[in-house]
Amino acid sequence: MKRVGPSHIVVPRRTPRRFYGHGIPKVELDRLAGRLIVVEGADGSGRSTQIAMLVEWLEGGGHATVQVGLKRSTLVSEELDQAQAGNILSRTTLSLFYATDFADQIENIMLPALKAGFVVLADRYIYTLMARDMVRGVDEVWLKNLYGIALEPDAVFYLNVPPEELVQRNFAKNMSLDYWESGMDIGLSRDMFDSFMKYQAAMEETFRRLQATYGFTIVDGMRSPEAIHADLRKKISAVLGEK
Amino acid sequence: MKTFAELNFPGRLVAVEGLDGSGKSTQIYLLKRWLELQGLKVYFSEWNSSELVKSATSKGKKRELLTPTTFSLIHATDFADRYERHLVPLLRAGYLVLCDRYIFTAFARDVVRGCPPEWVRGVYDFAALPDLTFFFKADLEVSLQRILDGRPQLKYFEAGMDLRLSSDPYESFRIFQGRMLEQYLAMSTEFNFLVIDANQLVEKQQEVVRELVAARVPLDNYRRAERPASRPPPAEPPRKSKDRERDKEPELVE
Repeated sequence: MKRVGPSHIVVPRRTPRRFYGHGIPKVELDRLAGRLIVVEGADGSGRSTQIAMLVEWLEGGGHATVQVGLKRSTLVSEELDQAQAGNILSRTTLSLFYATDFADQIENIMLPALKAGFVVLADRYIYTLMARDMVRGVDEVWLKNLYGIALEPDAVFYLNVPPEELVQRNFAKNMSLDYWESGMDIGLSRDMFDSFMKYQAAMEETFRRLQATYGFTIVDGMRSPEAIHADLRKKISAVLGEK
Repeated sequence: MKTFAELNFPGRLVAVEGLDGSGKSTQIYLLKRWLELQGLKVYFSEWNSSELVKSATSKGKKRELLTPTTFSLIHATDFADRYERHLVPLLRAGYLVLCDRYIFTAFARDVVRGCPPEWVRGVYDFAALPDLTFFFKADLEVSLQRILDGRPQLKYFEAGMDLRLSSDPYESFRIFQGRMLEQYLAMSTEFNFLVIDANQLVEKQQEVVRELVAARVPLDNYRRAERPASRPPPAEPPRKSKDRERDKEPELVE
């Protein structure tokens, strides 16, 4: 029987939590009472919209939320911006720089929030970082070890939108394509449009490969935001222990 | 993991490792001078020297923001930057590259800080092994005295204060260095460290170092091409020749 009203707040059950690999030293996993939800997808796939809708819904349901994303750490985000602007770092270096940013956010934001029982919403996670590097030829085994520091999320959604649609959405929003999101650094094509299409197709394929390992939920991002939100809600309700 | 020689790089990498105060920096400096004075192509590289990463490292250190994992990763980033932009190209161009500390510093330090050893080794897996690694082994007390006699202002991370070993920085430093030494000694055989007795006189140690380098590196291959000083030397393959007079044909080393 489902009641509506202030008394109906779902108190999440404790579930066992683990790192993907070697993890982070001295973390007491059984003290992490919160939930970790990841939304993945290319720029223009609707990630921000979905996260905003989830925050509304979760807070309405009495859950405290906190958001994390890539390149948001206090430690290295400025330096990462500089490095990208100059395009001066080699592959492994850039990869490790992103991993540093990610680790800083895990330790300084995600772990404390999870300990305090928050629902952490991650706007992209290690899968984007890994996929970007894999498309650029970085060794998958090396990446898996590196990102063994990551916590296994309670739910991961990949908003899948084909490149043809992504390109339209990016133009509608910014009237331009992003250098890195077009993979211009790899030299797929000197034509930015071509490069974008090829790069995004390669990313999509890599995500499908990663899906086989990490088992995340692929969501059809071509539907209306409301329809997608309903999908996410159903899965997250289950994660929160709601029937 | 393979050495640069095993990977058929024309250059050779020589690394020195040891505790702070073991005298390794003096020794590698003297080695560098000796090689330079013979007219060899030498490049010297230090741990923690890449510009971009320096800014983030010093920010993190100043604010004591770093955890063992971020400490490890930020140093790995710095190392990767030097490795990809300097070391590898120079080694491909047939240089003798001298490194004051290499990945073993990270292996020892990060593990003492509590990072899983397999993870740290995996992170540095992109780097080849040095062709020669000298380990300067001084008695713990000797190295500690060299550093602590000056009563320096020990920095927070340098003293291992983040490990909460002791509230006294000097005591913390002692314990930290002791644990580093244990880690180094445990790696010594696995990575073929050439162990130098760092309790000896500087000259005595340098003699041993030079003998070992001369015996194991075909130094004649690393001579600068003789050209008029006004013209910058063009890139050319390194020469393998014990007898440069006879052998005019450039060829790849090994």
